[in-house]
Amino acid sequence: MKRILLTLVAAATLFALPASAQLIDEKDVTVTMDLQPVLQLEMSTPNQIEFVFDNINEYYAGITQYAATILKVSSTVSWDLYAVGRSNGTNGPEFWDQVIDYGNSNINAIPDLPLSLLELRQAQANNGATAAAATATFADYNQAFSQAAVPSAGNSLYVNGGTNTPPGVDGKYIAGHSGTTAPGADAMPGGSYLINGGTASDFYYAVDYRILPGLPAVFPMAADADGATFEDLVTVNGAGSYAEPGVYTMYVQYVLLEDQ
Amino acid sequence: MALLFAFLPFFPVPFCTRFYCPALVEPSWMNRSFTILMLYLAMSWFSAPALKAQLHCGNVELTPNTPVQALFSFDEFRDYQGGLILSNVATLRVNIQDLAIPDPQCSWSLSVLIDNNPSSGTPAAEWEELSPYGFGAGNNPTLDILEMRVRNNCQTSPLNGTFMSFTNHGDILDIIESALPVTPAGSCTTNVNGVGSYLTNPGEYTFNLDLRITPGFVFDPGIYMITLRFNLEENP
Repeated sequence: MKRILLTLVAAATLFALPASAQLIDEKDVTVTMDLQPVLQLEMSTPNQIEFVFDNINEYYAGITQYAATILKVSSTVSWDLYAVGRSNGTNGPEFWDQVIDYGNSNINAIPDLPLSLLELRQAQANNGATAAAATATFADYNQAFSQAAVPSAGNSLYVNGGTNTPPGVDGKYIAGHSGTTAPGADAMPGGSYLINGGTASDFYYAVDYRILPGLPAVFPMAADADGATFEDLVTVNGAGSYAEPGVYTMYVQYVLLEDQ
Repeated sequence: MALLFAFLPFFPVPFCTRFYCPALVEPSWMNRSFTILMLYLAMSWFSAPALKAQLHCGNVELTPNTPVQALFSFDEFRDYQGGLILSNVATLRVNIQDLAIPDPQCSWSLSVLIDNNPSSGTPAAEWEELSPYGFGAGNNPTLDILEMRVRNNCQTSPLNGTFMSFTNHGDILDIIESALPVTPAGSCTTNVNGVGSYLTNPGEYTFNLDLRITPGFVFDPGIYMITLRFNLEENP
Protein backbone atom coordinates (compact mmCIF):
# COMPACT_ATOMS: atom_id res chain seq x y z
CA MET A 1 0.00 0.00 0.00
CA LYS A 2 2.82 2.34 0.84
CA ARG A 3 4.28 1.67 -2.57
CA ILE A 4 1.00 2.66 -4.16
CA LEU A 5 0.91 5.84 -2.16
CA LEU A 6 4.44 6.77 -3.16
CA THR A 7 3.60 6.09 -6.77
CA LEU A 8 0.58 8.33 -6.52
CA VAL A 9 2.63 11.11 -4.93
CA ALA A 10 5.25 10.88 -7.68
CA ALA A 11 2.59 10.89 -10.37
CA ALA A 12 0.89 13.89 -8.81
CA THR A 13 4.19 15.74 -8.66
CA LEU A 14 4.94 15.12 -12.30
CA PHE A 15 1.42 16.08 -13.20
CA ALA A 16 1.37 19.33 -11.29
CA LEU A 17 4.83 20.83 -11.76
CA PRO A 18 5.29 21.08 -15.53
CA ALA A 19 3.34 24.27 -15.72
CA SER A 20 4.08 26.28 -18.85
CA ALA A 21 7.10 28.56 -18.45
CA GLN A 22 7.63 32.07 -19.70
CA LEU A 23 8.33 32.30 -23.40
CA ILE A 24 11.88 33.40 -24.14
CA ASP A 25 13.97 33.64 -27.27
CA GLU A 26 17.64 34.58 -27.43
CA LYS A 27 19.95 35.50 -30.29
CA ASP A 28 23.62 36.39 -30.08
CA VAL A 29 25.91 38.81 -31.85
CA THR A 30 29.60 38.02 -31.60
CA VAL A 31 31.95 41.00 -31.79
CA THR A 32 35.60 40.44 -32.64
CA MET A 33 38.13 43.23 -32.40
CA ASP A 34 41.51 43.07 -34.11
CA LEU A 35 43.82 45.70 -32.65
CA GLN A 36 46.85 45.80 -34.90
CA PRO A 37 49.83 47.74 -33.59
CA VAL A 38 50.45 50.93 -35.54
CA LEU A 39 53.74 52.81 -35.24
CA GLN A 40 54.27 55.72 -37.60
CA LEU A 41 57.42 57.81 -37.73
CA GLU A 42 57.19 60.79 -40.03
CA MET A 43 60.47 62.47 -40.78
CA SER A 44 61.12 65.68 -42.67
CA THR A 45 64.75 66.26 -43.46
CA PRO A 46 66.98 67.16 -46.38
CA ASN A 47 68.04 64.14 -48.37
CA GLN A 48 71.66 65.04 -47.72
CA ILE A 49 72.98 67.12 -44.84
CA GLU A 50 76.34 68.51 -45.80
CA PHE A 51 79.07 69.78 -43.54
CA VAL A 52 81.80 71.51 -45.54
CA PHE A 53 84.83 72.57 -43.55
CA ASP A 54 86.72 75.08 -45.64
CA ASN A 55 87.31 77.76 -43.08
CA ILE A 56 89.51 77.67 -40.01
CA ASN A 57 86.71 78.96 -37.80
CA GLU A 58 84.55 76.05 -38.82
CA TYR A 59 87.21 73.67 -37.61
CA TYR A 60 87.45 75.51 -34.32
CA ALA A 61 83.77 76.10 -33.61
CA GLY A 62 82.23 73.34 -35.65
CA ILE A 63 79.22 73.54 -37.91
CA THR A 64 75.69 73.18 -36.55
CA GLN A 65 72.62 72.41 -38.62
CA TYR A 66 69.66 73.51 -36.57
CA ALA A 67 66.40 71.56 -36.73
CA ALA A 68 67.66 69.75 -39.77
CA THR A 69 65.45 66.79 -38.98
CA ILE A 70 61.90 66.84 -37.64
CA LEU A 71 60.56 63.62 -36.16
CA LYS A 72 56.82 63.12 -35.64
CA VAL A 73 55.50 60.05 -33.88
CA SER A 74 52.10 58.37 -33.85
CA SER A 75 51.79 55.09 -32.03
CA THR A 76 49.01 52.94 -30.67
CA VAL A 77 51.34 51.15 -28.27
CA SER A 78 53.99 52.19 -25.80
CA TRP A 79 57.13 53.03 -27.73
CA ASP A 80 60.81 53.92 -27.75
CA LEU A 81 62.70 56.05 -30.26
CA TYR A 82 66.43 56.08 -30.76
CA ALA A 83 69.05 57.11 -33.30
CA VAL A 84 71.96 54.98 -34.38
CA GLY A 85 74.96 55.86 -36.54
CA ARG A 86 75.68 53.57 -39.48
CA SER A 87 77.77 53.41 -42.61
CA ASN A 88 78.51 51.07 -45.47
CA GLY A 89 81.48 49.73 -43.56
CA THR A 90 84.11 50.75 -46.11
CA ASN A 91 86.46 51.79 -43.33
CA GLY A 92 84.95 49.47 -40.73
CA PRO A 93 81.54 49.09 -39.15
CA GLU A 94 81.94 51.99 -36.73
CA PHE A 95 83.64 54.45 -39.09
CA TRP A 96 82.57 56.92 -41.72
CA ASP A 97 82.95 55.75 -45.31
CA GLN A 98 85.80 57.63 -46.93
CA VAL A 99 84.55 58.50 -50.42
CA ILE A 100 87.46 60.69 -51.56
CA ASP A 101 90.96 60.95 -50.16
CA TYR A 102 92.61 64.33 -50.72
CA GLY A 103 96.00 62.78 -51.26
CA ASN A 104 97.62 62.93 -47.89
CA SER A 105 99.93 59.99 -47.17
CA ASN A 106 101.10 61.04 -43.76
CA ILE A 107 100.88 58.14 -41.37
CA ASN A 108 99.29 60.37 -38.75
CA ALA A 109 96.46 61.31 -41.11
CA ILE A 110 93.73 58.94 -39.96
CA PRO A 111 90.99 57.98 -42.48
CA ASP A 112 88.96 56.04 -39.89
CA LEU A 113 86.69 58.66 -38.43
CA PRO A 114 84.33 57.35 -35.71
CA LEU A 115 80.62 57.59 -36.42
CA SER A 116 80.17 58.93 -32.92
CA LEU A 117 81.82 62.22 -33.85
CA LEU A 118 78.43 63.39 -35.06
CA GLU A 119 76.51 65.17 -32.30
CA LEU A 120 72.74 65.37 -31.98
CA ARG A 121 70.60 67.62 -29.88
CA GLN A 122 66.90 67.03 -29.46
CA ALA A 123 64.74 70.04 -28.64
CA GLN A 124 62.26 68.13 -26.49
CA ALA A 125 63.63 66.26 -23.48
CA ASN A 126 63.10 62.55 -23.13
CA ASN A 127 60.23 62.33 -20.67
CA GLY A 128 60.08 58.57 -20.82
CA ALA A 129 63.36 57.70 -19.13
CA THR A 130 63.08 58.46 -15.42
CA ALA A 131 64.26 54.95 -14.56
CA ALA A 132 67.23 55.27 -16.93
CA ALA A 133 68.32 58.54 -15.37
CA ALA A 134 69.90 56.55 -12.55
CA THR A 135 71.85 54.18 -14.78
CA ALA A 136 72.83 56.17 -17.86
CA THR A 137 75.36 58.97 -17.88
CA PHE A 138 73.29 60.61 -20.59
CA ALA A 139 69.77 59.23 -21.10
CA ASP A 140 69.04 61.42 -24.15
CA TYR A 141 70.44 64.09 -26.48
CA ASN A 142 68.73 67.02 -24.82
CA GLN A 143 71.77 68.69 -23.26
CA ALA A 144 73.18 71.76 -24.98
CA PHE A 145 76.18 71.34 -27.28
CA SER A 146 79.24 71.82 -25.15
CA GLN A 147 81.85 74.46 -25.76
CA ALA A 148 84.67 73.49 -28.08
CA ALA A 149 87.22 73.60 -25.29
CA VAL A 150 85.15 71.35 -23.01
CA PRO A 151 84.80 67.88 -24.54
CA SER A 152 81.54 66.19 -23.66
CA ALA A 153 79.96 62.89 -24.61
CA GLY A 154 76.47 64.18 -23.93
CA ASN A 155 75.51 64.58 -27.58
CA SER A 156 77.69 61.95 -29.18
CA LEU A 157 75.72 59.73 -31.56
CA TYR A 158 75.00 56.17 -30.41
CA VAL A 159 76.82 53.52 -32.45
CA ASN A 160 76.73 49.77 -32.01
CA GLY A 161 79.15 47.95 -34.28
CA GLY A 162 77.40 48.99 -37.48
CA THR A 163 74.09 47.45 -36.44
CA ASN A 164 70.82 49.05 -35.45
CA THR A 165 70.60 47.17 -32.16
CA PRO A 166 68.84 49.32 -29.53
CA PRO A 167 70.96 51.01 -26.87
CA GLY A 168 71.22 49.36 -23.48
CA VAL A 169 70.38 50.82 -20.10
CA ASP A 170 73.44 53.08 -20.25
CA GLY A 171 72.75 54.41 -23.75
CA LYS A 172 70.92 57.38 -25.19
CA TYR A 173 67.34 57.31 -26.43
CA ILE A 174 65.43 60.19 -27.97
CA ALA A 175 62.29 58.94 -26.23
CA GLY A 176 61.69 56.03 -23.87
CA HIS A 177 64.50 53.76 -22.83
CA SER A 178 65.63 50.18 -22.43
CA GLY A 179 63.22 48.10 -20.33
CA THR A 180 59.49 47.59 -20.04
CA THR A 181 58.77 48.91 -16.58
CA ALA A 182 56.13 51.49 -17.41
CA PRO A 183 55.41 54.53 -19.58
CA GLY A 184 57.38 57.38 -18.14
CA ALA A 185 59.97 55.14 -16.52
CA ASP A 186 61.37 53.61 -19.69
CA ALA A 187 58.70 54.05 -22.35
CA MET A 188 56.48 56.61 -23.95
CA PRO A 189 52.72 56.06 -23.88
CA GLY A 190 50.75 55.66 -27.09
CA GLY A 191 49.52 58.81 -28.77
CA SER A 192 50.23 61.17 -31.62
CA TYR A 193 51.64 64.59 -32.32
CA LEU A 194 48.29 65.26 -33.99
CA ILE A 195 46.31 65.17 -30.77
CA ASN A 196 48.79 65.37 -27.92
CA GLY A 197 50.08 68.91 -28.03
CA GLY A 198 51.72 69.17 -31.42
CA THR A 199 55.22 70.62 -31.53
CA ALA A 200 55.45 70.95 -27.74
CA SER A 201 54.54 67.34 -27.11
CA ASP A 202 56.53 64.19 -26.51
CA PHE A 203 55.61 63.09 -30.02
CA TYR A 204 57.51 65.81 -31.86
CA TYR A 205 61.28 66.23 -31.93
CA ALA A 206 63.44 68.73 -33.76
CA VAL A 207 66.99 67.44 -34.06
CA ASP A 208 70.09 69.61 -34.46
CA TYR A 209 73.37 68.22 -35.82
CA ARG A 210 76.85 69.38 -35.06
CA ILE A 211 80.30 68.30 -36.17
CA LEU A 212 83.21 69.86 -34.36
CA PRO A 213 86.59 68.75 -35.76
CA GLY A 214 88.77 70.95 -33.58
CA LEU A 215 92.29 71.89 -34.41
CA PRO A 216 94.00 69.67 -35.08
CA ALA A 217 90.97 67.80 -36.43
CA VAL A 218 90.64 65.04 -33.83
CA PHE A 219 86.89 65.30 -33.16
CA PRO A 220 87.05 65.70 -29.37
CA MET A 221 83.32 65.04 -28.82
CA ALA A 222 83.39 61.49 -30.18
CA ALA A 223 82.58 58.99 -27.45
CA ASP A 224 81.27 55.48 -27.03
CA ALA A 225 77.68 54.52 -26.37
CA ASP A 226 77.71 54.86 -22.60
CA GLY A 227 79.47 58.22 -22.72
CA ALA A 228 82.26 56.98 -20.49
CA THR A 229 85.10 56.58 -23.03
CA PHE A 230 86.10 59.13 -25.62
CA GLU A 231 86.84 58.00 -29.17
CA ASP A 232 88.62 61.06 -30.48
CA LEU A 233 91.49 60.35 -32.85
CA VAL A 234 94.21 61.04 -30.30
CA THR A 235 92.70 58.77 -27.68
CA VAL A 236 92.26 55.95 -30.16
CA ASN A 237 95.29 56.40 -32.44
CA GLY A 238 97.81 58.20 -30.28
CA ALA A 239 99.28 61.64 -30.04
CA GLY A 240 99.85 63.47 -33.28
CA SER A 241 96.92 61.88 -35.06
CA TYR A 242 94.53 63.96 -37.09
CA ALA A 243 91.77 63.40 -39.60
CA GLU A 244 92.80 62.80 -43.16
CA PRO A 245 91.24 65.42 -45.45
CA GLY A 246 88.67 64.00 -47.78
CA VAL A 247 85.00 63.40 -48.34
CA TYR A 248 83.21 61.14 -45.89
CA THR A 249 79.67 59.88 -45.63
CA MET A 250 77.53 58.08 -43.10
CA TYR A 251 73.86 57.97 -42.19
CA VAL A 252 71.70 58.24 -39.10
CA GLN A 253 68.98 55.69 -38.68
CA TYR A 254 65.97 56.59 -36.53
CA VAL A 255 64.18 53.61 -35.11
CA LEU A 256 60.69 53.72 -33.63
CA LEU A 257 59.71 50.49 -31.95
CA GLU A 258 57.29 49.11 -29.43
CA ASP A 259 58.61 49.49 -25.90
CA GLN A 260 61.27 46.86 -25.29
CA MET B 1 -11.34 24.53 -4.99
CA ALA B 2 -13.30 23.58 -8.05
CA LEU B 3 -10.22 21.83 -9.32
CA LEU B 4 -9.99 19.85 -6.10
CA PHE B 5 -13.53 18.59 -6.44
CA ALA B 6 -13.05 17.86 -10.08
CA PHE B 7 -10.17 15.68 -9.06
CA LEU B 8 -12.09 13.72 -6.46
CA PRO B 9 -13.78 11.20 -8.76
CA PHE B 10 -10.40 9.71 -9.53
CA PHE B 11 -9.85 8.95 -5.85
CA PRO B 12 -13.24 8.13 -4.43
CA VAL B 13 -12.24 5.44 -1.98
CA PRO B 14 -10.16 7.42 0.52
CA PHE B 15 -12.82 10.07 0.97
CA CYS B 16 -15.45 7.45 1.24
CA THR B 17 -13.33 5.57 3.73
CA ARG B 18 -12.54 8.57 5.89
CA PHE B 19 -15.86 10.34 6.09
CA TYR B 20 -18.68 8.28 4.69
CA CYS B 21 -17.83 4.59 5.05
CA PRO B 22 -16.66 4.02 8.60
CA ALA B 23 -17.67 0.41 8.36
CA LEU B 24 -14.79 -0.37 6.02
CA VAL B 25 -11.81 -1.85 7.75
CA GLU B 26 -8.58 -0.03 6.95
CA PRO B 27 -5.55 0.74 9.10
CA SER B 28 -5.56 4.24 10.60
CA TRP B 29 -2.17 5.15 9.07
CA MET B 30 -3.65 4.64 5.65
CA ASN B 31 -6.40 7.13 6.35
CA ARG B 32 -3.90 9.71 7.39
CA SER B 33 -1.76 9.03 4.33
CA PHE B 34 -4.64 9.48 1.95
CA THR B 35 -5.60 12.69 3.64
CA ILE B 36 -2.05 14.00 3.30
CA LEU B 37 -2.00 12.87 -0.29
CA MET B 38 -5.20 14.71 -1.03
CA LEU B 39 -3.91 17.88 0.58
CA TYR B 40 -0.70 17.58 -1.39
CA LEU B 41 -2.57 17.16 -4.64
CA ALA B 42 -4.79 20.08 -3.82
CA MET B 43 -1.81 22.31 -3.13
CA SER B 44 -0.15 21.15 -6.33
CA TRP B 45 -3.19 22.00 -8.36
CA PHE B 46 -3.66 25.35 -6.71
CA SER B 47 -0.05 26.29 -7.26
CA ALA B 48 -0.01 25.20 -10.88
CA PRO B 49 -2.33 27.95 -12.14
CA ALA B 50 0.00 30.53 -10.59
CA LEU B 51 2.80 29.36 -12.87
CA LYS B 52 0.53 29.02 -15.83
CA ALA B 53 -0.57 32.65 -15.35
CA GLN B 54 2.77 33.84 -16.79
CA LEU B 55 1.82 32.54 -20.18
CA HIS B 56 -0.08 35.22 -22.01
CA CYS B 57 1.40 34.88 -25.48
CA GLY B 58 1.31 32.08 -27.98
CA ASN B 59 4.87 32.54 -29.19
CA VAL B 60 7.74 35.01 -28.93
CA GLU B 61 10.42 34.86 -31.57
CA LEU B 62 13.57 36.87 -32.20
CA THR B 63 15.17 36.51 -35.61
CA PRO B 64 18.42 38.15 -36.67
CA ASN B 65 18.83 38.76 -40.38
CA THR B 66 21.88 36.51 -40.54
CA PRO B 67 24.20 34.73 -38.11
CA VAL B 68 26.04 37.77 -36.88
CA GLN B 69 29.79 38.06 -36.51
CA ALA B 70 30.98 41.64 -36.40
CA LEU B 71 34.69 42.19 -37.03
CA PHE B 72 36.40 45.43 -36.15
CA SER B 73 39.89 45.68 -37.63
CA PHE B 74 42.06 48.56 -36.46
CA ASP B 75 45.09 49.04 -38.67
CA GLU B 76 45.12 52.82 -39.15
CA PHE B 77 46.00 55.43 -36.62
CA ARG B 78 42.88 57.43 -37.39
CA ASP B 79 40.73 54.40 -36.59
CA TYR B 80 42.26 54.14 -33.14
CA GLN B 81 41.72 57.82 -32.53
CA GLY B 82 38.35 58.36 -34.14
CA GLY B 83 36.85 54.94 -33.65
CA LEU B 84 35.08 52.66 -36.07
CA ILE B 85 31.34 52.31 -36.52
CA LEU B 86 29.72 49.26 -38.02
CA SER B 87 26.20 50.23 -38.95
CA ASN B 88 23.45 47.65 -39.29
CA VAL B 89 25.58 44.92 -37.80
CA ALA B 90 22.37 43.04 -37.20
CA THR B 91 18.69 43.48 -37.78
CA LEU B 92 16.63 41.96 -34.99
CA ARG B 93 13.11 41.01 -35.95
CA VAL B 94 10.50 40.44 -33.28
CA ASN B 95 7.45 38.29 -33.77
CA ILE B 96 4.87 37.99 -30.96
CA GLN B 97 1.91 35.75 -31.50
CA ASP B 98 -1.23 35.61 -29.44
CA LEU B 99 -2.79 32.55 -27.88
CA ALA B 100 -5.66 30.83 -29.63
CA ILE B 101 -7.86 32.76 -27.25
CA PRO B 102 -6.16 36.16 -27.22
CA ASP B 103 -4.94 37.37 -23.88
CA PRO B 104 -4.83 41.18 -23.62
CA GLN B 105 -1.95 40.89 -21.17
CA CYS B 106 0.41 39.46 -23.75
CA SER B 107 3.43 41.75 -23.79
CA TRP B 108 7.19 41.37 -24.02
CA SER B 109 10.54 42.85 -23.17
CA LEU B 110 13.83 42.94 -25.06
CA SER B 111 17.21 43.29 -23.41
CA VAL B 112 20.85 42.72 -24.26
CA LEU B 113 23.51 41.23 -22.02
CA ILE B 114 27.26 41.40 -22.56
CA ASP B 115 29.27 38.22 -22.14
CA ASN B 116 33.08 38.17 -22.07
CA ASN B 117 33.41 34.46 -21.29
CA PRO B 118 34.68 34.76 -17.73
CA SER B 119 35.21 31.01 -17.55
CA SER B 120 38.36 31.53 -19.62
CA GLY B 121 39.77 33.77 -16.90
CA THR B 122 38.75 37.08 -18.43
CA PRO B 123 38.50 39.87 -15.83
CA ALA B 124 34.97 41.21 -15.49
CA ALA B 125 35.65 44.55 -17.12
CA GLU B 126 37.77 43.38 -20.06
CA TRP B 127 37.38 41.79 -23.46
CA GLU B 128 38.23 38.13 -23.82
CA GLU B 129 41.75 37.84 -25.22
CA LEU B 130 42.06 35.44 -28.14
CA SER B 131 45.56 36.27 -29.34
CA PRO B 132 47.93 39.01 -28.13
CA TYR B 133 50.35 40.87 -30.40
CA GLY B 134 53.74 41.92 -29.00
CA PHE B 135 54.17 43.42 -25.57
CA GLY B 136 51.63 46.23 -25.52
CA ALA B 137 51.11 48.57 -22.63
CA GLY B 138 50.05 45.83 -20.24
CA ASN B 139 46.35 46.52 -20.53
CA ASN B 140 43.72 44.54 -22.35
CA PRO B 141 40.82 46.58 -23.71
CA THR B 142 37.95 47.28 -21.37
CA LEU B 143 34.33 46.60 -22.22
CA ASP B 144 33.37 50.26 -22.07
CA ILE B 145 35.09 51.02 -25.38
CA LEU B 146 32.26 49.16 -27.10
CA GLU B 147 29.14 51.19 -27.67
CA MET B 148 25.85 49.87 -28.96
CA ARG B 149 22.96 51.69 -30.55
CA VAL B 150 19.53 50.35 -31.49
CA ARG B 151 17.04 52.14 -33.62
CA ASN B 152 13.86 51.60 -35.58
CA ASN B 153 11.52 53.79 -37.52
CA CYS B 154 9.07 54.39 -34.68
CA GLN B 155 11.82 54.90 -32.10
CA THR B 156 10.08 52.47 -29.81
CA SER B 157 13.06 51.98 -27.52
CA PRO B 158 13.83 54.73 -24.98
CA LEU B 159 17.48 54.13 -25.97
CA ASN B 160 16.73 54.68 -29.63
CA GLY B 161 19.59 56.37 -31.46
CA THR B 162 21.82 56.69 -28.41
CA PHE B 163 25.14 54.92 -28.11
CA MET B 164 25.23 53.03 -24.83
CA SER B 165 28.15 51.18 -23.27
CA PHE B 166 28.75 48.35 -20.83
CA THR B 167 31.10 48.19 -17.88
CA ASN B 168 31.25 44.60 -16.70
CA HIS B 169 30.41 41.11 -17.84
CA GLY B 170 26.70 40.48 -17.30
CA ASP B 171 25.64 44.09 -17.60
CA ILE B 172 22.19 44.39 -19.15
CA LEU B 173 20.67 47.15 -21.22
CA ASP B 174 16.91 47.19 -21.60
CA ILE B 175 15.82 47.95 -25.12
CA ILE B 176 12.15 47.51 -24.19
CA GLU B 177 11.76 47.23 -20.45
CA SER B 178 9.73 44.55 -18.75
CA ALA B 179 6.69 45.17 -16.55
CA LEU B 180 5.46 48.05 -18.64
CA PRO B 181 1.80 48.60 -19.50
CA VAL B 182 0.84 47.02 -22.77
CA THR B 183 1.31 49.38 -25.71
CA PRO B 184 -0.31 47.80 -28.73
CA ALA B 185 1.19 47.43 -32.16
CA GLY B 186 0.45 50.24 -34.55
CA SER B 187 0.91 52.95 -31.92
CA CYS B 188 4.28 53.87 -33.39
CA THR B 189 5.36 55.30 -30.06
CA THR B 190 7.75 54.48 -27.25
CA ASN B 191 7.69 51.03 -25.65
CA VAL B 192 5.42 49.22 -28.08
CA ASN B 193 5.24 45.78 -26.50
CA GLY B 194 2.00 44.14 -27.53
CA VAL B 195 1.20 41.37 -29.93
CA GLY B 196 2.63 42.06 -33.35
CA SER B 197 5.22 41.16 -35.91
CA TYR B 198 7.99 42.66 -37.95
CA LEU B 199 6.00 41.50 -40.98
CA THR B 200 3.01 43.72 -40.23
CA ASN B 201 4.65 46.49 -38.18
CA PRO B 202 8.28 46.66 -39.25
CA GLY B 203 8.78 50.11 -37.78
CA GLU B 204 8.03 48.82 -34.30
CA TYR B 205 9.14 45.21 -34.34
CA THR B 206 12.42 45.58 -36.16
CA PHE B 207 15.56 46.82 -34.41
CA ASN B 208 18.70 47.80 -36.28
CA LEU B 209 21.91 47.43 -34.34
CA ASP B 210 24.96 49.70 -34.74
CA LEU B 211 28.24 49.17 -32.93
CA ARG B 212 31.09 51.60 -32.32
CA ILE B 213 34.53 50.98 -30.83
CA THR B 214 37.04 53.70 -29.97
CA PRO B 215 40.16 52.01 -28.60
CA GLY B 216 42.49 54.95 -28.05
CA PHE B 217 46.15 54.18 -27.44
CA VAL B 218 46.31 52.57 -24.04
CA PHE B 219 45.42 48.98 -24.82
CA ASP B 220 47.49 46.00 -25.90
CA PRO B 221 47.28 45.05 -29.55
CA GLY B 222 45.73 41.67 -30.17
CA ILE B 223 42.51 39.91 -31.11
CA TYR B 224 39.66 40.13 -28.64
CA MET B 225 36.06 39.00 -28.52
CA ILE B 226 32.80 39.53 -26.66
CA THR B 227 29.25 38.35 -27.23
CA LEU B 228 26.05 40.36 -27.06
CA ARG B 229 23.11 38.22 -26.03
CA PHE B 230 19.73 39.58 -27.03
CA ASN B 231 16.91 38.26 -24.93
CA LEU B 232 13.27 38.49 -25.95
CA GLU B 233 11.00 37.54 -23.11
CA GLU B 234 7.30 37.39 -22.45
CA ASN B 235 6.28 39.62 -19.58
CA PRO B 236 4.86 37.73 -16.59
